[in-house]
Amino acid sequence: MKNSNKGQIKESSKVAKVVIYVILIFLAITIIVPVFWVFMASIKENQEFYRSPWALPAGVHLQNFADAWEKASMGSYMLNSVIVTVIAIALLIVIALPAAYVLARFKFKSSKFWNVLFMAGLFINVNYIVVPIFLMLNNADIFMRKVFGGPFFLNNLFILAVVYASTALPFTIYLLSGYFKSLAKDYEEAAYVDGAGYFRTMVQVIMPMAKPSIVTIILFNFLSFWNEYIISMTLLVKPELKTLPVGLMNLMAAQRAAVQYGQMYAGLVIVMLPTLLLYICVQKKLTQGMTLGGLKG
Amino acid sequence: MKQRKGRGRFIFLCLAPAAILFIIFMIIPTIDVFRMSLFKWGGYTADKTFVGLQNFVKLFKSDKFYQAFQNSVLLIVLVTIITFSLSLVFAAILSREKIKGQGFFRVIFYIPNILSVVVISAIFSAIYDPTQGLLNSILNLFRGGENPILWLGDRKIVIYSIIIAMVWQAIGYYMVMYMASMANVPESLYESASLEGAGRIKQFFSITLPLIWTNIRTTLTFFIISTINMSFLFVRAMTNGGPDNASSVFLSYMYQEAYTNSSYGYGMAIGAVVFIFSFALAGVLNAVTKRDEIEF
Amino acid sequence: MKAKKVISLTMAAAMAMTLGIIPEKVAHAEGEEQTLNVAVVETAYGAQMWHDVCDAFEKANPGVTINLTIDKKMEDIIMPAMKAGDYPDVIMRAVGAATALPETFIKDNNVVDLTDVLSMTVPGEEVTVGEKILPGFVDNSITNPYGDGQTYLMPMFYAPCGLFYNAALLEEKGWEVPETWDQMWELGDKAKEEGISLFTYPHAGYFDAFFYAMLHESMGTEMFQKALRYEEGIWDTPEATKVFDIITKLTTYTEPTTPGNANDNDFQKNQQLILDNKALFMPNGNWVIGEMAEAPRAEGFEWGFTALPALEEGGERASYTFFEQTWMPKGAVNQDLGKQFIAYLYSDEAADIFATVGNAVQPIKGMSDKLDGDAKLYYSVYDTGAVAVMDAFATTDPVEGITVRTTFFDPVDSLVTGDKTEEEWVEQIKKDSDELRAALKE
Repeated sequence: MKNSNKGQIKESSKVAKVVIYVILIFLAITIIVPVFWVFMASIKENQEFYRSPWALPAGVHLQNFADAWEKASMGSYMLNSVIVTVIAIALLIVIALPAAYVLARFKFKSSKFWNVLFMAGLFINVNYIVVPIFLMLNNADIFMRKVFGGPFFLNNLFILAVVYASTALPFTIYLLSGYFKSLAKDYEEAAYVDGAGYFRTMVQVIMPMAKPSIVTIILFNFLSFWNEYIISMTLLVKPELKTLPVGLMNLMAAQRAAVQYGQMYAGLVIVMLPTLLLYICVQKKLTQGMTLGGLKG
Repeated sequence: MKQRKGRGRFIFLCLAPAAILFIIFMIIPTIDVFRMSLFKWGGYTADKTFVGLQNFVKLFKSDKFYQAFQNSVLLIVLVTIITFSLSLVFAAILSREKIKGQGFFRVIFYIPNILSVVVISAIFSAIYDPTQGLLNSILNLFRGGENPILWLGDRKIVIYSIIIAMVWQAIGYYMVMYMASMANVPESLYESASLEGAGRIKQFFSITLPLIWTNIRTTLTFFIISTINMSFLFVRAMTNGGPDNASSVFLSYMYQEAYTNSSYGYGMAIGAVVFIFSFALAGVLNAVTKRDEIEF
Repeated sequence: MKAKKVISLTMAAAMAMTLGIIPEKVAHAEGEEQTLNVAVVETAYGAQMWHDVCDAFEKANPGVTINLTIDKKMEDIIMPAMKAGDYPDVIMRAVGAATALPETFIKDNNVVDLTDVLSMTVPGEEVTVGEKILPGFVDNSITNPYGDGQTYLMPMFYAPCGLFYNAALLEEKGWEVPETWDQMWELGDKAKEEGISLFTYPHAGYFDAFFYAMLHESMGTEMFQKALRYEEGIWDTPEATKVFDIITKLTTYTEPTTPGNANDNDFQKNQQLILDNKALFMPNGNWVIGEMAEAPRAEGFEWGFTALPALEEGGERASYTFFEQTWMPKGAVNQDLGKQFIAYLYSDEAADIFATVGNAVQPIKGMSDKLDGDAKLYYSVYDTGAVAVMDAFATTDPVEGITVRTTFFDPVDSLVTGDKTEEEWVEQIKKDSDELRAALKE
């Protein structure tokens, strides 16, 4: 509207702008205040939690963090979480990228079938397939015990990472192939003319272009792997193998026992901080990754 | 493109790992869910009895299932409509208007999406507290402290309290998505529309909306899938289905039956229904919203 | 890139090997070496006392190693292994919890008959287990879930449930602790004038103990047992109606914000109402004291505890006795050793550890005499004439879509908010009882 010279419109658009600012700022406050509140709660002493939740902390009680880290073993759970998340994301990228590329840009006999199958996978909810997965791994373990004398599949951080990567495949392939579809055919044609094989074309020409999309899927999947607890709780039974969110559940209210609120909120912050940090690091790329067409088609 | 040597092998090598993992860890377990829905099984021990479709028959006779069904549908509809319109409007404002601190708003609005549900439920428990909560404290300024509103304790209100939390959590995610696709709309279209005297609102409806339509359709599917899943996590963390079952949803009812009522087979029947329902709903929505692709 | 991929894959494989798994402890039976797997849910009593008791048992039985799993969410830890057919030998988890662990085993006929433990001699003592256990604790419908005269679940730490209140507040106001429900309503009206509500409850699940005790007061033992088996027409009797009427009336005296916090997250806020003198009574068990130990409270606050008021002057006053249970799944490998361990839990040595380390009281004779201070108050409730009620609804085959909690107790929330009427509540109970009755274990 910058070309409009009509004073009236200018007036009303000024009012509109003010309204817009008010709304934007209001929404921003509804987000900043509660997040800030969690940080405040994490430095409160236990007795303070029985008073108004919005009272300011009486002092900085950092002992909560030490307790959560040491006594509630959040430190070692953190290591487990890092291991699982890193392996799962690495696997996911190595496996999903080529698959998405092929599904998006090659027509072959069963390409339609696979596209539809992976789409259908979007509708499968881990909350109900977790027990079948467990039973399957367990049967495999019974077999392993017989043949190799020890179980392998359960209580294994690597297997948990494989399961995470597998359950994230439909969404990841969906995002990536949407991006690949938006690319012009010329890139590959040119590479083929230069004599590059399929594999080299994919790795050297297409992948570099997909970087922003890869950042996006890393963030999305990091969030879901890092916060996941239902699969983790089921497949990792040994206490020393717990991941962060499962450890957090133990800090939460259990009935008929006093709750260590301070520790619990410190635990919440410990779980939350890495996600916040990663997000702030990649937030620019996040929009960019989608900008490049991540979700088209 | 002319067929080249090794094409088939290349396709196979790229697709096989993903396909194998996907089949082992998603397809087979899903088939297992459908299979188990035909059995009566407590969940811990070996006693399984084949009961055919009996679990489904019971399901469709159960008031509690209808309650959960009703709540889930209400959540899907309202969360989708509210989140969709708000995030679309915010996306349009943030990408088309000259707003100071645009980047700041974009970053902040996305934050709820990266928080774990546990954090969100702790936050909302402090907001919804009947006497000391933020919401009632503010409302008390206008209506006095008599008869505080029980955000999580009133059968008629609780589901809306959950909707508010879910919308709060989801807006940023969809906003960033819409902003991303709006950035793809060529600036020249707006310039010429502007020259023709079209106002911002008209521009939004005649340019922005049609051009990001494909993206919108995609997100509708996401809305269905994620609302079913997120509503479970929210309900489990905030109310556990209470008060008196008023906030139970598909998957919370499934959990209650499969894991606390020794009715694992029945629970899996719920899982099967949810899968089919969400699949069908997405299909219907997809067909209804089909428009001719607009290229730009 | 190709090389990188290969490297990352080998690394991943190597990780898989190293992360692998800690080698399994195999229960080997060579010589005297034996491992007993014990799974215990951690409650307000804490975990330490269990570690101490297990140590003491190991000391008394050379060659025995106890593999103790104790956790607030014990089910989550052992459930996966159990689904795989790998069961702990001894489990302590009471009926009535949301996870319904023992219920599931009972429903599936998968608990070991422990009747013979009762005639075992307590290790290191002269008496048998059965002689030591307080009367009533091994012949109720919880420990004998099938009603066949056999004991399948062994009673552990008991805790009287009743109404908790601020004794100092009542004294200050000059109010008597009500002995009948009529006095209760009078007190409710008086308190209302002072802006205090008569009643609150942590969450609807706490009505189980309350409801059982009320039924017993109204029906007497024989009819109460019939009600627990959902006998036809039982909910239409005047005795049952009285109970429904009282609970419904009580909901009108309930602190109005109660349902807003009546969930697993926020229920302590309702308990706080008592500490803040905003409500007078709540149904609870003595664990509430530890649970709220750090909470701020009104000046001079002092816990008071009473059995439920009687229906009429001189009528029965009941207090539900909550107790934990130990039991053995049929899949237990070391059944004999497990039974020995259970018998040991009733020895003076073990009972003393439980009492001193965790303040947990075993249901054995003479135990409550050894208590002092606060604890004495709760356990002496039965000495002052209150009747101990310790049964629960009979176990049924799983009835899909119906649980005792959602049918009987959850609707209390709706009664308070006025979203359901007493008739609707009772109708639902009658309807669901028909189905539960049909699924009763024979």
